[in-house]
Parts: sequence; structure tokens; C-alpha cells
Amino acid sequence: MSKVQLANVRKTYPNGAEAVCGVDMEIQSGEFIVFVGPSGCGKSTLLRMVAGLEKITDGEIHIDDRLINDVSPADRDVAMVFQNYALYPHMTVRGNMSYGLKNRGMPKAEIDQKVTDAAKMLRIADFLDRQPNQLSGGQRQRVAMGRAIVREPKVFLFDEPLSNLDAKLRVQMRIEIKRLQRRMNVTSIYVTHDQTEAMTLADRLAVINDGKIEQMGSPIELYNNPATLFVASFIGAPQVNLMPVSFDGNSLVSGDVNILGFTDLPTDTDLVLGIRPDDMHLDDNGQFPLRVDIVEQHGADNLIYGGVLGAAMRGEDETEFCFKAGQNMLPDLETTLKLGFNAERAMVFNKATGERLR
Amino acid sequence: MVTQSNKDNRLELVGQSAARVFFGHTVLCLGLIFMLSPIVVIIASSTHLTSTLQQQGLQWLPGNQALENYGRIFKFEAGFTDQITPLAMLVNSLVVATSVAVLTTLFSLLTAYAIVFFRMPGKHIIFWTVLVTLLFPLESRFVNTFSVTVSLGLINTYAGIVLPVLAAALGTFFFRQFFLSLPKELIEAASLDGAGPFRFLKDIVVPLSYSRAGAIFVIAFMIGWNQYLWPLMITSDDSLYTLVRGIRFIGQESGPGMALVVITILPPFFLLLGFQRWFFNSLSSQ
Repeated sequence: MSKVQLANVRKTYPNGAEAVCGVDMEIQSGEFIVFVGPSGCGKSTLLRMVAGLEKITDGEIHIDDRLINDVSPADRDVAMVFQNYALYPHMTVRGNMSYGLKNRGMPKAEIDQKVTDAAKMLRIADFLDRQPNQLSGGQRQRVAMGRAIVREPKVFLFDEPLSNLDAKLRVQMRIEIKRLQRRMNVTSIYVTHDQTEAMTLADRLAVINDGKIEQMGSPIELYNNPATLFVASFIGAPQVNLMPVSFDGNSLVSGDVNILGFTDLPTDTDLVLGIRPDDMHLDDNGQFPLRVDIVEQHGADNLIYGGVLGAAMRGEDETEFCFKAGQNMLPDLETTLKLGFNAERAMVFNKATGERLR
Repeated sequence: MVTQSNKDNRLELVGQSAARVFFGHTVLCLGLIFMLSPIVVIIASSTHLTSTLQQQGLQWLPGNQALENYGRIFKFEAGFTDQITPLAMLVNSLVVATSVAVLTTLFSLLTAYAIVFFRMPGKHIIFWTVLVTLLFPLESRFVNTFSVTVSLGLINTYAGIVLPVLAAALGTFFFRQFFLSLPKELIEAASLDGAGPFRFLKDIVVPLSYSRAGAIFVIAFMIGWNQYLWPLMITSDDSLYTLVRGIRFIGQESGPGMALVVITILPPFFLLLGFQRWFFNSLSSQ
């Protein structure tokens, strides 16, 4: 149970590339923090700096008020679970799990006890004498977690551990990880590019883009109140509907579409309107005419995708909206639906800066 | 090419005509005969009288002199001081070959480890320099190597025979390619587990390298075992003669000579038999 503090942490590579540009964060003891963001945003680099696998160019990292910038990975009392498991191929499961403890000089009996306990917790007790190449992906991942657990670290670090698993297994393991973390109450930092994993696992979520934290908060906070356009588009599946608009004093204008209900917005800037698919509904007086292109049946819900007729173009493509409806809503293709929206939950962003204005 | 069993419960190669299968097998059998025939001839010839071999040439079929020929070898003594006996020569060959094998494997592994896992200025230069030595086998530089070895005082010593023929470049290249294929996360996981460079070598790299080390060991052993030119140059002392040199003394085209050749082939053969699983696994695996 330990708190982690990052103060103005930077990582610049020798060729000048800035991977992390000044990150500040305070992680409380026992919290499950998720770093989420697109590939190359710097989230893994940040995690590896906490682990000691990357040198910190500038700034400070403290674990429990102890400055760990120059402490070797083994002495930081952290444990990491890698994306491709990184198990020692020539050792058995037992060997893999006890290696770190052996190097610390722990007596054999104590090591055996810890390994057995962790194996029982992860349900891999039957595989202790097998080698990694005799295990399935999910089992290997559990061994990797077991290796981290036996060390009883101050902080658990996860680097996209579920990316190599199939979809169904990913869901199972996600729940197991959450359960485990709750039970052990160890401070955890989890890196992923999958926003569903991020939303479901995190106590608090940090959306990272281009080496900076765009927003940090609880998952539902980020969903309901994104601070920037990037966060709004990254969090939430299906993705938020976006339409380029401008404000003419009375309404938002996009091509031929006029949307009422907005006030107090700058009139000479390019804006983006964001409405989540579940905040839209069928309305005969609705302001969005949608030409139905695709109907996706997901079981309980249907997702209806289509172009917004008359709206301004988004770059080279027409503005496309997605509308979430029940399973009984099955419009024919090429028909036009009229959609209204929940004005209270609509968002308006400054297109250039991404800043949320409303 | 798909196999399927037909109603007669026999496996058929779908898509391959009988003629093609036959042709393939013929080529393989001819190749086998081609490769094995020298050994068959040697073994057969080793059981004949010397006079038979000298008058009628090498023989394909076994004779009846086996016991006499092989017996002659073990009673043989030659050379200036009667020190050239088959047993002495066998021991020398084993010492030289084993030393070459052990030192080659050890040095190559350590060199490759240093080159791959450490940040070292000039490590690329070092690697390519080592590789370039493959362009200079001993036969192309023996005069210089001789001067150096003499100036180091290594004439008539095992060290003098062994050190200049270590096949370090081959081994280094082979291990380097293997180490480069290990996932980077392995080092990171080991580092988090408290394994420094030495522990990482001992606990992880070496165990993972066993089968490849076995292959290098066997190849280097063969190189050491077959050395002829270099030991000829660097030793004049009878007690250092190896088996391949001793064949000349017994008589190259004699029955006992052939018998000695058969004995010379045996140790590498047994070594390869013993190591074959590692050898083939490591050379064919990715």
C-alpha cells in the first residue's frame, strides 16, 4: 500500500524526441490508476519510468515519499506484468515465480509458501511444474501476475497485459485483475489503449496524448465531462458524434443544418459539436436528418450509422452520426430519420485548441 | 501436399505422382550411397592385408584380417623416441579437440553476450572485426601466426596448437543472432527480479543457450580433431602427435593404417550421436 507521486516528469530521447512532456500526478495508496491513450502517446514510457526501465530525463518520482529516480528497478519494490508475459522459458512456473525471491535471499520454505499461496489465488496450482510453452495464453498471463504478486510489491505495474489474449479471455482476465487488486489493495498503474478496459478497471483514469495528460479523473467523470475534444472522442464506445459547426449568435450552423439551444459561444471561431450516440433519440421535430447507411445489431442495442444530410463536411468526408437504439429499431437503408438530442449533455469544443467551451 | 488415407487404409500423397515419389527416393538413395561409400570402403579396407590393398587398391568387401590389423595398432610404437603410440595420439587428439571446443564455445558465448546486452562504444566495430577473421583462415596466414606463436614461447605446447585455431568468429556470430532474437522484456523482467548482468548470464542466457552451445561444441570439436597443417608446423615433439598425424607413421595404404583411420573417425561420431538432439534442434529452430 503505497502512494506514488510524479512531479514534472519528462522523457526526452537522445535524438531530441519528447516522449513525456511534464507529467504531474498523485496516486493514493491502493488506487487503481489507468493510463490510456493512442499508440505512441507516451503512456508506456511513463510506466517504464516508474518501473526504472527508462531513465527519467527531468522531474521526480516518489514512492512513499522516497525519491526513486536513481534507484535500480529491483530496489524500487515494484512488480511489472508485461504484454507478452516475459516468462523465463526454460524455468517451470514455480521457477518463474520464485526467481525474484531467490535473488533476494529469501529462505526456501518461505518462497515455497508464497508461491503456493499465489498459485492458489490465481488458480494455477496445478501447473506449478509445467513450463511456459505447455500453457495457454491466459495461463501464462496468470503466471506473469503470480510472479508479480509473490514479490508483495509497493506498486503493481501492468503494461497492456491483455492485448495478446482473445476477446473473450480478455473480458474474463479483466475481471480477475480487478478482483485481485481489490483483494490485495496494492497501488496499481495499468497501461492500455483499450478504452473499455480503462473505463471498467480504473478508480481514476488518465488520458494521455502526445506525452501530456489531457485529463485525469474517475471514468464516469471523463465520460460525462470531458475537458477536451480528444478526451471526448477517446472515451466512450461507440465514439461521440462530432460535427464541425460555427455559431452565428443564435444557433450552431453546419452547412444547411441549424441547431438551436446554444448561447454564449464565440462567433468567429471554428467549433465542434459533440453528442454521444445514446443522447440522441427519434424526434419528428428533430434537428438532425440522418440518412441510414448501416444498421448494426448488437443484441440488446442497435447502432445506426449514417450521414447527416446537409451538414458541413468533416475534412474530406461527410459528417457521420451514430445513433443508439433498442433492438426493435430496424430502419430500412437509405431512409431518412429525424433525430433530436439531449441538449444538456451536448458538448461544444474549440476546433483549434480542443478546449471544451460548453 | 496433403496426405489422406483411402479405403485401403494406406496413406497416399495427394498431388504427387508415383513417378515423382520414385524419382525423389532415387535421388536421395544415390546421395546416401555417395556420402557413405568412402566410409564403407575404409571400414572394409581395414580388414584386409596390406599387400591386398597395395596390389588391388581399396576394397569394398570385408576381408579376414580385422583382428590382426586392429591388434597391430595397439602394439604400435614409432617415432624418434618411441612415443608415438595410438593411445598417446588418441589422448593428444582428445585434448586438442576438447580444448578447441570448450574454449571456442566459452569465448563465443561471452563475446556475443557482451556485444548484445551491453551498451558499449565501438561494439559494432568489434563484432565486424571478429566476423572479418572468417576471411582469414589459418592456411592463409600461417607464416605470421607462426611468428607470433613462437614469440609467445608456445612451440611444442598444447596451447600453441589450440589457441590459433579457435573458431571464435563462427561461434560469436551464431550466439549473437540467437541473443538478438530473445525478447527485450526478458532482460527487463529479470532486472525487476533483481538479476544483474552476471545472474542474468548464469540463470537465463546460459540455460537458454544449451542446445546452441552443443552445436557449436560439436563443430568446434571437429575442427580441433581434424587439425593437420597447424600442429605439423608448431610441434616437432613426438609426444604431441595427434591421431591424424599418426596415420602417416603406420602406413597410409596399409591395413593397420585403414584401421587407424576408422578409430580416428569414431570419437567425433560418438560425440555427434550424443549431441544430435541438441545439434539438430538448434540448427533448425528459429
